[in-house]
Amino acid sequence: MSAMDPSFPSTGQVNGRPLTRLTVFQGQCRVSAGPRVELTTVLGSCIATCLFDPEVEVGGMNHFLLAEPMSKSEEASVDEHYGVYLMEVLINEMLSQGAAKQRLRAHIYGGANMHAGMSQIGSKNAEFAREFLARERIQLVREHLGGNQARRVDFRPASGQVRCRSAESSLLTPNQPVATPAISRGEVELF
Amino acid sequence: MIDTSLKILTVDDSASMRALLLHALLGNDFDVSQAEDGQAALEWLAVNDVDVIITDINMPRLDGFGLIERLRSGGRHCDRPIIVLSTESSDEKKARARAAGATGWIVKPFDAQKLIAAVRRVAH
Repeated sequence: MSAMDPSFPSTGQVNGRPLTRLTVFQGQCRVSAGPRVELTTVLGSCIATCLFDPEVEVGGMNHFLLAEPMSKSEEASVDEHYGVYLMEVLINEMLSQGAAKQRLRAHIYGGANMHAGMSQIGSKNAEFAREFLARERIQLVREHLGGNQARRVDFRPASGQVRCRSAESSLLTPNQPVATPAISRGEVELF
Repeated sequence: MIDTSLKILTVDDSASMRALLLHALLGNDFDVSQAEDGQAALEWLAVNDVDVIITDINMPRLDGFGLIERLRSGGRHCDRPIIVLSTESSDEKKARARAAGATGWIVKPFDAQKLIAAVRRVAH
């Protein structure tokens, strides 16, 4: 299984200088315009969204899980508030580095259903990502979703090049419960 | 019959966030209108009344800070409560909003019940 830009470089160097690989863990997002930066992550049921603005050559990746594995009798539900928040954080960071929302191009990866017989949490995460991008009118240029295998995604944020390969499930970090942000959810402060 | 519903304007460039806000606020005796950025909000406010404004910060054309400054500079909406609803939580941004005349700050992702309680509190 692979889905990649045919021009994705096969070496770990750019102009003879080594790459800096930054891992994007669940609940995180990273944005960079660095030409020698590669953002990387390993996904099971989670989704990684890669956004790229070709005009200013800046890109970013997030990594999220919006639904938890439930028992066979329960339906997994997506925490849409948290999903919209994580997408907005990524978009805002892109905008702060010069990107424009109408120029953004998106790739989405992951959403595997890793546990047979359990709620299809990977599919629910993928459905959220697709619907979010459609609602925000962000162009989806490539997706590689579903199945039952883990994936490794490597993204060069300054060029928009992506490589998605199958990965050993043992590389996955255990899914944490749906993470609440470090900030208090919905904290209200009146001045 | 006099309409006693609180008139709320939400201002956010994200269609997804506008949908979440609409879902959270409707059904609470609120009359909810929505604008997609600060400029659209000013255009709507030129011909409509409002009781509470809820605004995002990062928006194209006119951001949340600019909207607050424009509203506080004069006009018939200059004393209306303005709640900022943002992913940002830095003290620097909060201080800037407060200096511009914001009434309060709520950090996303928002809790619907806390948001409704804050709206009712600042409206009276």
